[in-house]
Amino acid sequence: MNKNQFQKIILEKFTYRIVIVLIIFLNVIAANAQENRVNGTVKSGHDNLPIPGVSVLIKGTTTGTVTNQDGEYNIATPTDGILVFSFIGMKTQEITINGQTNINVSLEEETTGLDEVVIVGYGVQKKVNLSGAVDAIDSKELESRPITNLAQGLQGVAPNLNIDFVSGEPGQAARINIRGVTSINGGEPLILIDGVPADTWELNRLTPEDVSDISVLKDASSAAIYGARAAFGVVLITTKSGTREGLHVSYNNNMSWSKPTLLPNKISDPYIYNRVLETSTDNTPWDNINFSDDTYAWAKERSDNPEGTVGVRVNPNDPTSWEYMGNRDWTYYFLDDYTYSQKHHIQIDGKTNKTRYYLSGSYDNENGALKIADDLFKRYSIRSKVDFTPFKWLTVGNNTLMTMTERREPSYLDIWDLYNLAPTSYDKNPDGSWANTGVGQEAARLLDGGDVDNRYNSTQSTFTAEARFFDGALKVNSDYTIRKGNSNYSYYYSKYKIGYGPEDVREIGSNSAYRSATFDTYNVFNIYSTFSKTFNKHQVTALVGFNQENNRSEWFNAQRDGVISGSLPTIALATGEDYVDERITDWAIRGTFFRLNYIFNERYIVEFNGRYDGTSKFPSETRFGFFPSTSAAWRIDRENFMRPIEHIVSTFKVRGSYGSLGNQNVYDDNGNPVYYGYIPTMNPSQAEYLVDGELPQRVSPPQLVSDNYSWETVSTVNFGADVGLFKDKLFAAFDIYQRNTKNMLTIGRDLPDVLGAAEPKENAADLQTNGWELSLTYKNNFNLAGKSFNFNTRFILSDSRSWITDFDNPNKNLSQYYIGQEFGELWGLESDGFYKTVEETQALDETQLIPWGALSIVPGWPKYVDQDGNGIIEKGYTVDDPKDAQIIGNTSPRFRYGLNLSFDWNGFDVRTFVQGIAKKDYYPRHYLYWGFYQQPYAGGYEHLMDFYRPTADSDVDMAKHSQAYIDAGLADANLDSQYPVLQAWLADRNLGEGLNDSKGLATPQTGYLLSAAYIRIKNITVGYTLPKTLTQKINIERVRFFVSGENIAEWSEVSDYFDPEAVTDDGHGYAYPFQRRYSFGVNIDF
Amino acid sequence: MKKIISIFSITLIILFSACNDDYMDRFPETSIGTENFFKSEEDLKMFIYNFYSFAGINNYGDDGYLTTDNSANTGSTELKNIMLSSNPSSATITEGWSWETLRDINLFLENFRNADISEDLLAHYEGLARFFRARFYMEKIKRFSDVPWYDQVIGTSDEELLFKSRDPRDMVVQKIFEDYEFASQNVKTDQPVGAVNKWVVLAYKARHALHEGTFRKYHSELELQSSANTYIQIAKDAAKEIMDNGGFSIYSTGNIQSDYSSLFNSQNLTSNPEIIFANSSEDEVKNSGWWEWMFGNYEVSPSKDLLQAYLMSDGSYYSSQVSPETNSFVEEFENRDPRLKQTYAFPGWELINTGTYAQGGGIYKQQLQKNFTGYHQIKGFINSTDQTTQNGVDFPSIRFAEMLLIYAEAKAELGELSQGDLDNSINKLRERAGMPNLNMDPVIDPVQEARFPNVKSNSQWKEILEIRRERRIEMALEGYRYDDLMRWEAGKILETEPRGLYFSGLGKYDMTGDGVEDIVLLDLSESIPGAGDKEVNSIGETLIYYRVGAQDSDGSFYISGDNQGYIESVKERGNFVAPKYYYRPIPQTHTTVNPNLTQIFGWE
Repeated sequence: MNKNQFQKIILEKFTYRIVIVLIIFLNVIAANAQENRVNGTVKSGHDNLPIPGVSVLIKGTTTGTVTNQDGEYNIATPTDGILVFSFIGMKTQEITINGQTNINVSLEEETTGLDEVVIVGYGVQKKVNLSGAVDAIDSKELESRPITNLAQGLQGVAPNLNIDFVSGEPGQAARINIRGVTSINGGEPLILIDGVPADTWELNRLTPEDVSDISVLKDASSAAIYGARAAFGVVLITTKSGTREGLHVSYNNNMSWSKPTLLPNKISDPYIYNRVLETSTDNTPWDNINFSDDTYAWAKERSDNPEGTVGVRVNPNDPTSWEYMGNRDWTYYFLDDYTYSQKHHIQIDGKTNKTRYYLSGSYDNENGALKIADDLFKRYSIRSKVDFTPFKWLTVGNNTLMTMTERREPSYLDIWDLYNLAPTSYDKNPDGSWANTGVGQEAARLLDGGDVDNRYNSTQSTFTAEARFFDGALKVNSDYTIRKGNSNYSYYYSKYKIGYGPEDVREIGSNSAYRSATFDTYNVFNIYSTFSKTFNKHQVTALVGFNQENNRSEWFNAQRDGVISGSLPTIALATGEDYVDERITDWAIRGTFFRLNYIFNERYIVEFNGRYDGTSKFPSETRFGFFPSTSAAWRIDRENFMRPIEHIVSTFKVRGSYGSLGNQNVYDDNGNPVYYGYIPTMNPSQAEYLVDGELPQRVSPPQLVSDNYSWETVSTVNFGADVGLFKDKLFAAFDIYQRNTKNMLTIGRDLPDVLGAAEPKENAADLQTNGWELSLTYKNNFNLAGKSFNFNTRFILSDSRSWITDFDNPNKNLSQYYIGQEFGELWGLESDGFYKTVEETQALDETQLIPWGALSIVPGWPKYVDQDGNGIIEKGYTVDDPKDAQIIGNTSPRFRYGLNLSFDWNGFDVRTFVQGIAKKDYYPRHYLYWGFYQQPYAGGYEHLMDFYRPTADSDVDMAKHSQAYIDAGLADANLDSQYPVLQAWLADRNLGEGLNDSKGLATPQTGYLLSAAYIRIKNITVGYTLPKTLTQKINIERVRFFVSGENIAEWSEVSDYFDPEAVTDDGHGYAYPFQRRYSFGVNIDF
Repeated sequence: MKKIISIFSITLIILFSACNDDYMDRFPETSIGTENFFKSEEDLKMFIYNFYSFAGINNYGDDGYLTTDNSANTGSTELKNIMLSSNPSSATITEGWSWETLRDINLFLENFRNADISEDLLAHYEGLARFFRARFYMEKIKRFSDVPWYDQVIGTSDEELLFKSRDPRDMVVQKIFEDYEFASQNVKTDQPVGAVNKWVVLAYKARHALHEGTFRKYHSELELQSSANTYIQIAKDAAKEIMDNGGFSIYSTGNIQSDYSSLFNSQNLTSNPEIIFANSSEDEVKNSGWWEWMFGNYEVSPSKDLLQAYLMSDGSYYSSQVSPETNSFVEEFENRDPRLKQTYAFPGWELINTGTYAQGGGIYKQQLQKNFTGYHQIKGFINSTDQTTQNGVDFPSIRFAEMLLIYAEAKAELGELSQGDLDNSINKLRERAGMPNLNMDPVIDPVQEARFPNVKSNSQWKEILEIRRERRIEMALEGYRYDDLMRWEAGKILETEPRGLYFSGLGKYDMTGDGVEDIVLLDLSESIPGAGDKEVNSIGETLIYYRVGAQDSDGSFYISGDNQGYIESVKERGNFVAPKYYYRPIPQTHTTVNPNLTQIFGWE
């Protein structure tokens, strides 16, 4: 089935489901009877003029109407309902009908977003009074999407909140970034859930349905209060609380079916595969693949007559073994099918005079892409949140979360293996045993080779207290959190059976059991007091606080070989060699912070933030740092001179901020966090030589450390403006910023290698990031067929670019960062097509590009532009002398965008969400693109069949070919091809990926540079809420059904080869498949 | 308002009161700092293990990977790339300039005295560290000749040391042999099995002294010829001490067909009397793996030149045969030094372990393929399918046989060789192999003579030629040939392209020595018949067909003449530019960082 057919079928199935659901509910509406009529006029309280287009709704239902040109309405209602009058820019009013038939209403103007409150560090702030760059995300944007990880829902919803997934693996943590390149050491935003710091894995343990508000603090001033770890922004997540009187119970579920988005397009014809594969090595000095005549004869038969030819047989030359000739793309054998996932969430919440409570429980079971064995992620979660106000001045509370996540997968699961299977491979022998092939062995390993089970249990409890003095002018808050996490990780390998021949089934593989446990203990303590008072036109808020945190992580593992029984694969029942190890890390931070906010006459806003912070990761002399910031805003819309145009310009605010923050995160070369980077240490390990029959212990030499080892400082200057037009129906927010990351920890001066150790990291490099972000919102409602049609759209767009501004690399060596280097810049050669004649190959010397120094340069070989005209293609070592190399592109993602369109009408709600990246270059360097050009061991991709062929095959050879081979034109000359002469190892990246190390096609060149820009329909959700009149009869407040599709379609130049999101990493598309997911669910509120 | 101010003040006082106390001090618990280490003998021992690095299984490929006359190689190897390159330079030759090991050794030497142990033991450990330092520097000298000498740990601010220039070879070599001298005096003999002892130290001392001495002697560009004998003397003395006092002997049970080869596929060499140091393996503890690439045309293949160097079983030269160059594959193996059939896959040899690059098992018919000689190596090949066996192969990193060869060569180079010396050294190897003795004043083999024209300045040059042959045969394909050719100043030999099997024309050939034909060579114009049309020989086996042609044709393999001649493995070997190619440049990235490091011998 080709891709278009496939998409069509999906679309048909999907549409079909929607239609069924709609038909059922339309019938329900028709059955709905009406009893009473109410009419009246709606006027503005400001100028007493009638307002057309006001939504009039019977509360709790979807029944409603809209006022006409004269502000009049007429609606059929039950006698004892409540009417809700709402209009953009006006305060919503509710009026009890109580038997009335005429209700006139006067709506008061709502000063645009005035009451909208945004969560900020250690407090809340009115949105209009913000002076920093803060984005608030409505949790409605996430509702009813079939996601298990909140980060999936945040992708593309806030400008410059950049969320990437490197794979579609269940339980995969996101990569979260705010505003582009942070530091060469990396640096993620600080994520806090209910004030408690969390990492992206912790975010994975959060049930998205429990979330009520999300704020993104982007500039230095809004983040400064978190000083130590907030240099690259803050994401504040607040969970739901009981906010409504009485007892409320809701239940949500979601059942989904998913399959991989895109899989590599591989050759499935055995003759074509074998012949092309052999051709690829024939053209090299190794020529190590040579199929026998018998093999070709069988392949041809299987190709010409697939039904009538067997795919497995007893080897005619060796009757003790099987022989195989498969003819399919085996990736689909393992991956392509709908797997089922489900989630359930129940919540109970409410409040009384003195108590607020929120209790929830959820269960998620996400199945991965593997279809032949268990491959899943499960999460169980319980949250209990209670606040109690024993006295008028005191509230105490507790917020407790227990989660258990489990990732289960086969021990041998490795996506590489699944993508690399040859079509000639085979699954099972005639006797039912697994075939002695890549496919058979892979299937046997996945099914019988053992499982990995990774469970993580986390219990977190936060005690909070708030005391209020002087009528609330002074508040003192304190909270203490303890989080205990432990992982229970185990895997085992067991032997599995492979059929080598008739009567020859062997047990192979290793058998060992492994178990490890981690104990994480995390303590957070905060105390802060806030003073807030308005004196006439002066509004003052002051906050001062203290924060301390420590974390201790203890890990140990045990492994033993020689498991006795495959059915009880435990360490206890193993007899072989054993291995144990242990690791303990801990860190602590402590800081004090303040905020001063002053607003004059609701127009002029000034704020100062600061934090004095210390971390255990640095030596005591350089441990502490002070990080101040300031910001100011001017609400121009409040000025008198704006009065005449206030009906057009409803909001107009300009903002500016500057601040300096610290980054304490240090990572080693493998990306692991470094906790004791200033202490030279030695680690034990096993030696490599047997002494007295055993491998003795050894202790590694200590690393070099530097005295110059302290905070990276990150200063950001930010300017922004918020503009709202027509009562904020149209709203735009724009920010532009410059962020300077200074004193990044990196190797200092490039010292001679006689030093004999890796140069210690010290504070030695700077970078600068410039960027901007824009969000546009348009919302409106109007009358459609007598019902209110609410329309809401939001578009976001952001960009950033980064440059190295300081680095000790005086020669501008290209193998290292250099001053002026832009992040993502891709050095390579300019393609000049192919050599066409032998004379041409002799005229331009490309010997320096020959992989392994051994391939022959022949017509059809890639030809490059000789930039310096010296007759030799060379790659230089320095920026100033790059020889024939030049910058040919940039791999950084640019212009990330998201578009959210939603409307609701008469109980229906529809939301679509589109997301993408508008500019990003990508140079392929892997099997998934280069197949046999990389190495002759894996691949065989259809796109590569358009390779250069100097001559057509002779008639004798033609007779040997299968019809499919001839039909594909592979026996013909192909001088005008997309790909060069087919030489295995021509694109081998094992020689290195650096500009100088890389050879052949592994060196980036313009001819095969791809655009990894993409646009993706991330989600479409269609819901329908049953009329309340119907649901009330069975005492249910609300019933909503919905269908939703995730990752529905995408467009990108790279999507011919792999999922466009799979190249965000350096994995070159070798990612666990991303999933298309279609789901169905229900929300019920009792 | 006062209350507010006082509450604020109290909060502030609390907040700032406890900032930089021990709460913020966090130290590693599962790794150790230098100040707490180097306290006991156990600590010293554990650190010394970091320096262990001895020849292993992969050495069986090194005659190919280092580029010698013993093997052909299709892979990318440094010297081959240099010889083929139009302009090799420090920009393209980037290996070898690493110094981590030296730093660690010097760190040990600066700290080991903190251990609370006897002077005697301290000297033993100092000796071990200095032994490893000497070994480290010898490798640097071999590659770069002049290198900076450091006997202390360098700090990031030690500008003078970091940026110093090369020290002269002579000075560095003196330091190396001071270290060897100290080590051989102080390292103990009674050490656990597998640990470095005095004999290991002496063996390296002998090996490196012979290298340095002969290198100086034959490389006039160094202008150190006058001191050559000093080091040859050291080699002789060190080898002699091992011979006299080490208690080692040549492993021989009288079985001339397998005693030699059993050293290379043994599961346990540690108790073998010939082994001075074995790189041991044990299934599931330390898996040796085995050199699976040696079979089935992967990258390296042994050459005809090495095969021809083996003597006839009566001690005569192969070159003295009637038509040595046109012998068929089967004929080549007839009446030869028994070590040949323990090194090369021979007619009638059975392949059992098929987990290689070869196709199929059974009585082996040389699989012929373009770019490979057609010969296959069985020395070190584990011809067993048992995984435990494959994982547990020991490698003889230092053999007593090498000491005997060093002794004989040193004596001959010094002009002191006697028949007694030969009987005590070379002839012990001959005896194990079942070969006649080598006697003084041997007949000249014109082939061997042509190979080493520069030995004739020696009084005992005839003996030297035959000692060199014995060394080549005894140590064949163990990875020592490259160093030997370099120190004998024989780089020009490498320009000859290695050859493979000889075929006298098209037609059928016996490959297994049973007189029945196994393969057919066809002309390029012919096509290989289909599966059912192939001829079956008298013992019921289908013949294997090859089409032969010249280089770059589409033949199954390349042959030197017109449908007859040698298999050609390598199209071109390039030029060996002397003396330049006996050395390597310091990689450009390092001379850029430290401009005081200048290139020598014409490298740029």
